[in-house]
Amino acid sequence: MADADMAAPGKLDTFPKLLLENARIRGQRTAMRWKDLGIWQTWSWADVLDEIRAFSIGLKLLGLQHGNKVAIIGANRPRLYWAMPAAQALGAVPVPVYADSVADEMAYVLEHAEVTIAVVQDQEQVDKVLSIADRLHSLTHVIYDDPSGLRDYAHSKLHSFVEVQRRGREHAAADPKVERYWLEDVARGSGADLAVILYTSGTTGRPKGVMLSNDNVIISARNGNVFDNLTDAEETIAYLPLAWVGDFMFSIAQSYTAGFCVNCPESAATVVEDRREIGTTYAFAPPRVYENLLTLTMVRMEDASALKRRMFRYFLDVAKQWGEKILNREPVPLSAHLLYGLGEILVYGPLKSRFGLSKVRVGYTAGEAIGPEIFRFYRSLGINLKQLYGQTEASVYITAQPDAEIHADTVGKPNIDVQIRIDDNGEVQFKSPGVFQGYYKDAEKTAETKTPDGWVRTGDAGFFDTKTGHLRIIDRAKDVGKLRSGALFAPKYIENKLKFYPNIKEAVAFGQGKDYVSVMLNIDLTAVGSWAERNNVVYGSYQELAGHPQVYEMVAKHVDEVNRSLAEEPMMAAAQIKRFLILHKELDADDGELTRTQKVRRGFIADRYAPLATALYDGSSSADISTEVTFEDGRKGVIKAHVAIRDMETYPVTAEVFREAAE
Amino acid sequence: MSDVAVANKPAITEGQRAGLLVGLGLAAFIVLLTALTQFGAIHRGNLIYDVFVDPFVAMWTGPDLLTQVVWEGLVGGVLYALIALGFVLIFKASGVFNFAQGIMVVFAALSLVGLYEIMTVRLGLPAGTTVAFVALVGALVVMFVLAFLVERVVLRPLVNQHDIIMLMATVGLTYFLIGFGEYVFGGSPKVMITQQLGLPTGSTTFEIFGGRVNIQHLDVAAAIIATIMIVVLAAFFQYTRIGRALRAVADSHKAALSVGISLNQIWVIVWFAAGIVALVTGIMWGARSDVSFALEIIALKALPVLILGGFTSVPGAIIGGLIIGVLEKLGDFYWGPLLGNGIENWLAYVIALVFLLFRPQGLFGEKIIERV
Amino acid sequence: MRALPVSYAQLAKGDVLLEVKNVSLSFGGVKAIQDVSFDIRKGEVRAIIGPNGAGKTSMLNVINGFYHPQQGTITFKGMVRPKMKPYEAASGGIARTFQNVALFKGMTTLDNIMAGRSLRMTKGLFWQLFRYGPAMTEEIEHRKRVEEIIDFLEIQAIRRTPVGKLPYGLQKRVELGRALAMEPELLLLDEPMAGMNLEEKEDMCRFILDVREQFGTTIALIEHDMGVVMDLSDRVVVLDYGCKIADGTPDEVKQDQGVIDAYLGVPH
Repeated sequence: MADADMAAPGKLDTFPKLLLENARIRGQRTAMRWKDLGIWQTWSWADVLDEIRAFSIGLKLLGLQHGNKVAIIGANRPRLYWAMPAAQALGAVPVPVYADSVADEMAYVLEHAEVTIAVVQDQEQVDKVLSIADRLHSLTHVIYDDPSGLRDYAHSKLHSFVEVQRRGREHAAADPKVERYWLEDVARGSGADLAVILYTSGTTGRPKGVMLSNDNVIISARNGNVFDNLTDAEETIAYLPLAWVGDFMFSIAQSYTAGFCVNCPESAATVVEDRREIGTTYAFAPPRVYENLLTLTMVRMEDASALKRRMFRYFLDVAKQWGEKILNREPVPLSAHLLYGLGEILVYGPLKSRFGLSKVRVGYTAGEAIGPEIFRFYRSLGINLKQLYGQTEASVYITAQPDAEIHADTVGKPNIDVQIRIDDNGEVQFKSPGVFQGYYKDAEKTAETKTPDGWVRTGDAGFFDTKTGHLRIIDRAKDVGKLRSGALFAPKYIENKLKFYPNIKEAVAFGQGKDYVSVMLNIDLTAVGSWAERNNVVYGSYQELAGHPQVYEMVAKHVDEVNRSLAEEPMMAAAQIKRFLILHKELDADDGELTRTQKVRRGFIADRYAPLATALYDGSSSADISTEVTFEDGRKGVIKAHVAIRDMETYPVTAEVFREAAE
Repeated sequence: MSDVAVANKPAITEGQRAGLLVGLGLAAFIVLLTALTQFGAIHRGNLIYDVFVDPFVAMWTGPDLLTQVVWEGLVGGVLYALIALGFVLIFKASGVFNFAQGIMVVFAALSLVGLYEIMTVRLGLPAGTTVAFVALVGALVVMFVLAFLVERVVLRPLVNQHDIIMLMATVGLTYFLIGFGEYVFGGSPKVMITQQLGLPTGSTTFEIFGGRVNIQHLDVAAAIIATIMIVVLAAFFQYTRIGRALRAVADSHKAALSVGISLNQIWVIVWFAAGIVALVTGIMWGARSDVSFALEIIALKALPVLILGGFTSVPGAIIGGLIIGVLEKLGDFYWGPLLGNGIENWLAYVIALVFLLFRPQGLFGEKIIERV
Repeated sequence: MRALPVSYAQLAKGDVLLEVKNVSLSFGGVKAIQDVSFDIRKGEVRAIIGPNGAGKTSMLNVINGFYHPQQGTITFKGMVRPKMKPYEAASGGIARTFQNVALFKGMTTLDNIMAGRSLRMTKGLFWQLFRYGPAMTEEIEHRKRVEEIIDFLEIQAIRRTPVGKLPYGLQKRVELGRALAMEPELLLLDEPMAGMNLEEKEDMCRFILDVREQFGTTIALIEHDMGVVMDLSDRVVVLDYGCKIADGTPDEVKQDQGVIDAYLGVPH
């Protein structure tokens, strides 16, 4: 029966099958690059097949079986990417894990997933896994990619990736049947099999393992390819966590279905430069990445010569006025075209080149809502940045903005094959081929999220814009609240407005059931540090800088501007910021204040900084706080601070008529 | 629409304000002069007119002449730049202000011509290109020996002494070279072996702006050779191991020593490089006039160039040289008659002095920022 | 009597690599080091500690040839060392870093570390000028080693950045990289953690231990952070006012009354 399947051109419904197909039809085309020791190493699809097959056979020799789970832990390295189809070929399920999770978090995931083999990047991860090995009863082997520092590790469970491959190759060379058996294993796989289990960090509780089938991921990927006309000529750079569904979709599923090349950067710190060298055509990033790029640019421009700065400002204004219209192919006067063209040569071109976004044809921001100002900034430069609304539970795609139909405040139209409905509480629900199979070993949670008729609750509140037919997300359904007065309070909306300012790195807004809105802010050390240097503000530490009266003065101006802008929007005007404070430490995922995907955990922060949260509403002008922090090595310490609180002026709602006239 | 206000900074800084004021003042002055001239309030013979209006009118009405003057200024500037380059090389690598750089130019040129003379006249070898190039190689050897001896006899024993002592040592070197040169090659001016070295001599006249501009082939050759040399030097600095070592020494002696770079070796190389630059400069300059110790005066023009360009900047030396060269020629041609000629001898220093008032660190020198 | 013989018999781990014997050094009338003796064994991390002005940095300067002691001898790899220049010490296999960082500030990280390989690059000036033939082969070979160091120290992102623009912690890392590029037998580190934050200190500790682990380099370091000294070093020598007051394992030294007095400032 297996032979019959082999003879017919099988359905391309699993990743190993797609791999064989890519090696057949575009074997010499580059499938993967990795910059190592300063040089781009290259693998064609045929090379990748060879590497994966050798590793897969090696895994079989180590006893990996159908249904086993294989943890993948580390940065974006080719071998870690190869380990996934290698496991799938044997019917095993890859479980990518966030590489920066501390040992305890990792232990939970590996234990819960009953991982038998862990493929890890380097010594750091080996140490982490070995330190929790006694809790992982099903773990049989640990395979590492980078051998440095591991020479003297004598451990029976430990193998190098190359060694496993070597054994696989030797085995295949000794007996021609081995390869045939392997192909039969591949042929046995089907679309209904699990492709991957992705643990979502979630804003509350333990991570949940989202089970996605091959069909879920592959059909969604194909639909995504069609939606954006992706071909095998794309170049992407893989730099986001392997455990994020986006990376699985963009760097594996879409690459395997479209046949394009995925590039692995040299290190996390070199991504921008590596992206520039490669000239990526298809890009995706959470808003944070775009925010950071913008902050860096603004800081650099502050240090540039006066002439440059003036030119930069002038052409950014030109771009703000015309850039989006030109990108949306709206009619604009000839003079605008000319001016914009000049700006392209003098400012936008060099800027895009610096961002490594010169050749980007399709760029997505996903994972979290992006600040409209930031979004418009990139679009005005002529970068086709679009918003995508998705979830792990949807195999990414729910809605996306089609080319030339971009509205900064919406997330676009339903993707191909996706149906959407809004329930009575305003919650967005969807149904699509990408709908997940369930949470691994958690039927209860699955039932909470998936309705009996197959719809998935997103947990986000939103509505369809009547003018454009695009979906508009306000906030998390449970986070959109009301002030005591009953006025709408959408914390994320306010936070995003604040975070537009390069000086403000993070904002946490409070106000649910209260009389007014107040915020806690994090300053951006790069931006504010550079400002301090220019203005001769002396500081010895982050804490001192954050509490500096002049910094407060500057930040107060930003908050004031946000209030003015809120006052222009009748729905939001009541939610102007009455009081704010600047936190004495940076919010950090290691302390649980941010999720691993860098979203603020509002409730947790309110608890952790309870004295501050109280002081924001009891009228006091300052408050003392001491917080426990966890250092990277797991040790704990306590930070104490005296934090000042500022009162802000609020503005009456600007007249509706006036607003319309302005537009 | 929410507004995008990025930074709240004063519209202009102190420096910009000063620049703006000077610019406005200048514009007002020009308008005033134009008006005065238009209404016949000032005219030829009036001092203000002669100084501030007439030269510009002459430039405007005779663009061919202006082109000629600027070209000659540029050619002179290239030679100034080369001398300054020699200074900068040595100053960067060893912190020594080499007073002898100017005399090295003369000494190098004298060695070349002297060796050629010795070979053709005393040894009776046939005059021509071959012997000229043998003499060129000989002159290079002389410059290398000089570099080696300077390192051994002057720098090594005096290492770690005060800058002023090093400067005095190079002053001593200057007078030694003058005496030694005169003793070996004789004191009379010599003629550069321009043709024997294959350098072009004729000139071409172009018709532009309804007038004529005459360009000496030798000047074109000088510009080309100087450019090539600067590019080769830059590449040498940027891309070779020794170039890297040279930059290392220029940055930190201590660190260079700790990685095993020998300062003594670097000094020989730098002085030799400066010697090569001197030889090329000497050939170019000698071909325009003749070879004698009178050239030394011109070598001192490097000082204003250095003030303009900064003592440690190679691009500064080049740009500074060109600026001084052009301004000097313009001044001499258009304003010279007013001041009884001879202006060329001191104008460069005045320009440097004025410049010093506004930007003491030089054109390309690092602005010194005190960090808190 | 110039540089040390290169092919001296290979020392085994634990043999004495460098011996300082009765060394005294003074500047004019000021005695910086008085009759100090100790040894450094191959493969160990040897800490030199002491209060400010104890003569620690002077000791390093003596070892790497910046200063020449008036009295006493230094035996390196079994050979009594004559008065030598710093670059001779370097070619003998001694590399160092400096208390306040001495980098080539105008040069990139890459060039700084490449400069560390100066001694090992020997191809002629002629080939270098054309970046061709043997010089090119040599450049590539050395660049590869330098890239490995860049990878080891995780500084890929600043490869092309002029080091003068880097923050202090990274500069220290680049300086360590430059010293490593020399593939030294003895690595002298003058306060490698000075001015660093906790995270940078931890990284630096890890690098130092990895250096010894991976390259078998012997390390002598001056350090003020006693936690670091106790964690890192195998043996500690304590100087005070130019004199040696203790020598032994971290634990022994910690118990020593003389050391406690010196640190608490008990008058002599």
